[in-house]
Amino acid sequence: MSCDDVRPRLTAYLEGDLDAERGSVVRGHLRSCDTCRQIATDEAALRDGLRQLPTVDPPSTMWAGIQARLAQEEVVHSQTPAWRRAVARWAPSAPRFAAGGLLAAAAVAILWWRSHRGPDAPTAHTPEPAPIAVTVPNKVMGPTQVVVGADSSSDVTADLAGEAARVTATYGDAAEELLALAGEARGQWTTEQKDAFDARIAELRGAVTTAAEGRPRQRAWRALIRYLQGAVVRDEIALAGGAQ
Amino acid sequence: MKRALLLVCVLASAAAAETPPPPTKLIKPTPATPATPGLVERARLEVQPGGKAIKQIAIENPLGDVKVEGYDGTSIMIETRKQAPDEEGLERLRVSLVPNPDGTVRITTTADGGKEFKNVGRSQMRIDLIIRAPRDARVDAAVSAGSLEVLNMDAGGDLDTASGPISVRNVSGGVSTHSVSGTTSLTQVFGSVDAQTISSNLDLDTIGGERLIASANRGKIAGRRVRARHIELTTTEGSITLEGESSLRGRIVVSSLRGDVDVRLRRQGAVSIRARGAKVNLGSAMAFAKTQQDGWVHSQLGQIGKNAPALVELRSRYGMVQFAIIE
Repeated sequence: MSCDDVRPRLTAYLEGDLDAERGSVVRGHLRSCDTCRQIATDEAALRDGLRQLPTVDPPSTMWAGIQARLAQEEVVHSQTPAWRRAVARWAPSAPRFAAGGLLAAAAVAILWWRSHRGPDAPTAHTPEPAPIAVTVPNKVMGPTQVVVGADSSSDVTADLAGEAARVTATYGDAAEELLALAGEARGQWTTEQKDAFDARIAELRGAVTTAAEGRPRQRAWRALIRYLQGAVVRDEIALAGGAQ
Repeated sequence: MKRALLLVCVLASAAAAETPPPPTKLIKPTPATPATPGLVERARLEVQPGGKAIKQIAIENPLGDVKVEGYDGTSIMIETRKQAPDEEGLERLRVSLVPNPDGTVRITTTADGGKEFKNVGRSQMRIDLIIRAPRDARVDAAVSAGSLEVLNMDAGGDLDTASGPISVRNVSGGVSTHSVSGTTSLTQVFGSVDAQTISSNLDLDTIGGERLIASANRGKIAGRRVRARHIELTTTEGSITLEGESSLRGRIVVSSLRGDVDVRLRRQGAVSIRARGAKVNLGSAMAFAKTQQDGWVHSQLGQIGKNAPALVELRSRYGMVQFAIIE
C-alpha cells in the first residue's frame, strides 16, 4: 500500500474505524514510512490536544431560558389550526409542490366529479371544491399519511419487532461513551499501546458488524464494552507496557 | 426413539394446546376469567422427558415475567398466565413449546400480528410463565421488561433482560447474567459468575466459585459473603462495596472510574495489596504501606510462605479507596 492509499485512511485508523485487516496494513505501512508516521503522530497529537481542552460549562440559566422559549413556542403551536400546521411543515417545499399540487388537485377534482356525476345529479349537489383542495395536499404529502397510519406501530407486534434493535442501540451508546473516555486516557499511552488498542477495537467492532442482528450483536457489543472498561477503568492498556 | 420424534413435532400453545403428544400430560386450561385490566387466562402443562432427561431449558418471553424453580423431578411443569384486553387479544398470545430429543426444551412466547387484528398496545398484553424444572437442567432465559427469577437449580444458566430485574437464588453452576437497566441480584450462587449491566445495580450475596466477574457502567456493585479465587468488579460511575474472603493465590481486582471503592476481607494467608485513588485508606495495612511515585500505595499483611499471597488491587481515579481486614 502506498502513501497515497494510506493517508486518506489515517483518520479512520486513528478513530479505530478500520477493520482488522485494513488496520493491520495501515499499521504496517506506518512502521516503515517515516513521513506517514509523522503525519499520523501529528494528527493523533492534535486530536489528543483537542480532547484535553477544558469543557466549557454553559451558564445555569441557559437551559431554563431554552425551556421557557420552547414552552412558549409549544403554546403558539398548539393554538395554530391543524391545516396550517400541515402547510407550515411543507412551507419550504411549497414552491416545488405548488404546480404539482395544483395539477393533482385538478385531476382529482375531475375524477371525483366524473365518478360521482349521476345522470340526474343536480348541479347544486356538486361537492364544494374546498374539501378536495384539503385532500389533495394530504395525498401529495406522503409523510402526513404515514402520521395518520402511524398507530399501527403502537401494536404489540410492531413493538416486539423493534425491541432487539433498541436494546442493541443502547449497548452501542454505552460503548461509544466508553470510547470517548478511552480517547481521554489515550493521551497517556505510548504509540504501541495506542496501536494495540486500535487493533483490538477494530477487531471487536468487526465482530459487532458481522454478528447477526439481535442477541449475537448484543453479545458482541458487550464484549466491546468489557474491553473498554478494562482500558478505561482498569488501566489495562497503560499497564500492558506496550504489549497486549 | 419414536417417543422422541413425537416430542420434536410438538409445537403447542400451552394455553390452547390443541393436540398434545402422548408423553405430554396436559391439564386443561381453566376458563377465562375476567380481571380488572381485561381478561386473564391461566393454563398448566406438564412436559415429561422423551428419550433423554431434560438437560436444558431455553426460554424467551418478551411479554412478561419468567420464574424458574428447580425441584427433584424429571418433568417440566409450566404455568402460564395470559392477559389481554379482550378475547381477540388472548387469542393472539402464543406460548410455543418445543421439546428436542437431545434433552433441550425451548419455550417461547409471542403475539400474533396482522391487519385482521385491531391494534393493542404492548402494555395491555402479557404472558407470565412459572416453570418448575428438574434441578439439574441448565436455564437459558431472556425476558424484556418483565422480571426473571431463577431458584434452586444446579446447572447454572445464562440470563438476559432489557429492563427487567434478574434474581438468582440458590443456584449452582456457572451463571451468566446481562441486563441493560434491570437490577441484578445473585444470592447463594455456587459456581463461576459473570454479571454485566449497563445502568443498574448489581447485588451479590453469598457467592462461592472459581471466578466472579461483575461490571456495571452506571450502577453500584455490592457484594457480601463473597469467596472466589478470581474476583473482578468494575464500575464506571457507581460505587463498589465488597465484603468477602481472600483466597490463597487468589486475585481480587476492584476498580471504578468515578465511584468509591470499599473492600473488607477475611484473610486466608498473606495478602498483598496495592491501591490507588483520590484518597486511599488501607486500615490496619496502612502501617506497612509504601506510596510509590506513580500514586500506587502498596502494603502486605501476613508472612509469605510456600503459598503465594492473595493479590488485592483496588483503584478509583476520582473516588475514595478503602480497605480493611475483618478479624
